[in-house]
Amino acid sequence: MEIMAKHGAEVKLLVLPGLMLLAGIGAVSLAIGKIDSLVLGIAAALAVSFVAVHYLLMWIGRHGDPFLLPIASVLAAIGLIFVFRLKPELFIMQALWVWSGLIAFILAAAVGKRVESWADYKYIWGAVGLILLLVTALFGVEIGGNKNWLIIGPIHLQPSEFAKLFIVLFFAAYLSERRELLAYDTKKIGPLVVPHQRVLAPLLAVWGIAMLMLAIERDLGAAFLFFGTALLMLYMASGRYSYLIWGGGMFSMGAFAVYALYPHVRPRIDTWLNPWADPNGAAFQVVQSLFALGSGGVLGSGLGYGFPNLIPEVHTDFIFSAIGEEMGLLGSGAVLLLYITLVYRVFRIALVAKTVFNVILAGGLAALLGLQILVIVGGVTKFMPLTGVTLPFVSYGGSSMVGTFVLLGLVFALSEVGASDG
Amino acid sequence: MQAMADEVKKNVRRIALGLLGVLVILFGYLSYIQVIEGEALAANSLNRRSAQSGMQIERGKILDRNGKVLAFSERQPDGQYVRRYPYGAVLAHVVGYSNSSYGNTGIESRFNRDLSGIKNPWRVLGPLANLWNSKAGNNVVTTIDAELQTIAYRALGNRRGAVVALNPKTGAILAMVSKPSFNPEDVDTEWKILVNDPESRLLNRAVQGLYPPGSTLKVMVAEAALREKVTDTKQLFTCEGTWKIGKDYELSESHHQAHGKVNLEDALAVSCNITFGKLTVQLGPKRFAEAFTRFGFDRPTGLEIGDAPSELPDFNRLSEGELAQTGIGQGSLLVTPLRMAMIAAAMANQGNIMTPYLVTEINAPDGSQMETYSGKLLLTATSPELAQIVSKMMVSVVDRGTGSAAGLGRGSVAGKTGTAENPHGEPHAWFIGFAPVDNPQIAVAVILENSGYGGAEAAPVARQIFAGALR
Repeated sequence: MEIMAKHGAEVKLLVLPGLMLLAGIGAVSLAIGKIDSLVLGIAAALAVSFVAVHYLLMWIGRHGDPFLLPIASVLAAIGLIFVFRLKPELFIMQALWVWSGLIAFILAAAVGKRVESWADYKYIWGAVGLILLLVTALFGVEIGGNKNWLIIGPIHLQPSEFAKLFIVLFFAAYLSERRELLAYDTKKIGPLVVPHQRVLAPLLAVWGIAMLMLAIERDLGAAFLFFGTALLMLYMASGRYSYLIWGGGMFSMGAFAVYALYPHVRPRIDTWLNPWADPNGAAFQVVQSLFALGSGGVLGSGLGYGFPNLIPEVHTDFIFSAIGEEMGLLGSGAVLLLYITLVYRVFRIALVAKTVFNVILAGGLAALLGLQILVIVGGVTKFMPLTGVTLPFVSYGGSSMVGTFVLLGLVFALSEVGASDG
Repeated sequence: MQAMADEVKKNVRRIALGLLGVLVILFGYLSYIQVIEGEALAANSLNRRSAQSGMQIERGKILDRNGKVLAFSERQPDGQYVRRYPYGAVLAHVVGYSNSSYGNTGIESRFNRDLSGIKNPWRVLGPLANLWNSKAGNNVVTTIDAELQTIAYRALGNRRGAVVALNPKTGAILAMVSKPSFNPEDVDTEWKILVNDPESRLLNRAVQGLYPPGSTLKVMVAEAALREKVTDTKQLFTCEGTWKIGKDYELSESHHQAHGKVNLEDALAVSCNITFGKLTVQLGPKRFAEAFTRFGFDRPTGLEIGDAPSELPDFNRLSEGELAQTGIGQGSLLVTPLRMAMIAAAMANQGNIMTPYLVTEINAPDGSQMETYSGKLLLTATSPELAQIVSKMMVSVVDRGTGSAAGLGRGSVAGKTGTAENPHGEPHAWFIGFAPVDNPQIAVAVILENSGYGGAEAAPVARQIFAGALR
């Protein structure tokens, strides 16, 4: 009975993103004064797909948290509307990415049933994550200021979007296994607790990777995400604040060293501290982003009536500012609230999970998602230094879309394990 | 196992609270940026949004009094509009420029709302504000006579200076020239040169340039002396070429020649410094200051595009010598050419000064009239009788005095020359006046920076303008 009610809620909620998508595409078409039947057809097909995913999940017998997919689909619909409004030529590609993401979600939800047994292969996950990152570090190509792209023939990939998931998986397994060592087998230096070397090793490894990403790939955002997530997971497993202090200190020191050594990292910090010192140079993007948000005000200019294309890279990293300009605080605030709700749901799933591994895995994925929102929304609003990460489900791009849907599929599976046991 | 999981969950709960807390703070910060900081960010001069939206609709035309086009928008193949200025540098300072990077000036700035068609920039309306936007802006009809403007522009030649010509009966500006000038279409390409220009080409000297008025101020001093009964039209003054005031001051004539025995009319005609210096001292600081107030020097002119306020000395603190100096338009007193044109206009219009204005009509794209403006009285400076007397003396200046080069036949032009000493080199050459005397149609002020004598340099320019206006 409860499961039926859940299904009813999910299927009703999944009608929303489709309606929003059609309304949004219609509004943009009217503003441009041109209606493209192919685009409308794709939008209608996507609307059907959102609902179809629900029935596919039922068909393969998966019954997870009913809010995850609707929230992600609404965000994806908003992303599709804005990609169409900002770069109409990329709309069809973005639609393909969303379909790929939905399929990835179903697959992740299906295989995620056995997530418990994955803990045994933790070193494989760790190695895969590491290799993905190393390959990117060695053969990465710079696109849009970040040297974190891999180009294989016609395919452009951002491997770090997938590496994140493998690293979280590895850490969840590693930490749940060595939880007691971390919590109790410690030494003290002054007031701060230092863990045993065996525990310290993987943490140092992640720190090393983060620094490498910073130095070679200029990817401050990804480095912060990796290290921040690892650190928060370490705290989840150990409950020791001193690890957060150690980790934070190490990251700050490393970041400061990179700041001092590599001139290309410097402008990002400097422009955050004072963007008005060079509003037409290094701080151009942040200043333009603030103009967009400010011009949007509470109600926004209306879809198609703003000038978000004044911001470079607006359809990827700065899509949030475009939403803020044309939909106002009503739109940008709603998007941020959707993310807060989503992160809350994932944390809740962690809190009802049955095994330590599942708790830390779901908690880690929640932390990863939450930090990513903080980094990108905080970056484009000058809340913190701007770093190039995508707005999950919304920004244009395949790697991020598929990667984040896989993350959500895993969480969906974890929610089911927790619920069915209870 | 369960106990272990519970302990881990306690930690996860703390992380969840912390992370969600930070995201909620971020939400508050976002609201602050979009709502409280929003107004300032939207209005920031580097924010190109209002200029961009302006380029998407056809900005209204700016027209002269005879319907000649002074500014219009031309549609480009990409659908955006580019602003064109058929008169280029001739009208650059009055019409101004409308530029997406550097903003608007002149009429383009003052009447931007009408020209742009964006009538309701109310942010609180959000998307609804789009309902008020039209496809084309309104046309602005000015008081300028483009032909007269061109004549005045050419008459100045390559010299630095300004001309203001207005209808003394209405205050309508007929011509307003400032030199050197610039082409408003070249603002994008020449911006760096223009803003760093040592000759300040962007400055509208006619309303923003501050100069010592020199002897043109004697027109006002003559009026004040008669009004306050310090003298009359018959009294004879003796000019010996120099006059020692106190210990430190000595007033002298420009050519060091003595004018001998002169009455007030003769003194104005030959521009006798000593007579007017003495009259100013006799007026004293209080009554002298009152004259400036009567002629409106201490209040805004009300011109749409704005003008620089006069710099008046603190009259009570002037020594006798300084008072005499100020009476002949030297010293610390600084005024705009527009102000001096308004003094001539007062004499031409029975002592009444009209508010100077540049725009008569605002018309919708379909031609229907939306707003009209006409002459308004700014103030009454003096009586019709006194204005008549001073005007007659100004006719003598042109008929037999220093202003002969401005004449168009006996008794037709009234005027006064000025030669203003200044710290930047050669004196500034001035001429103010009006014509025709029996039914004044035009009052002018001409200034040529560092060009020499007003009678030799500025008066001929004024003559060309009078001839052009009465053609």
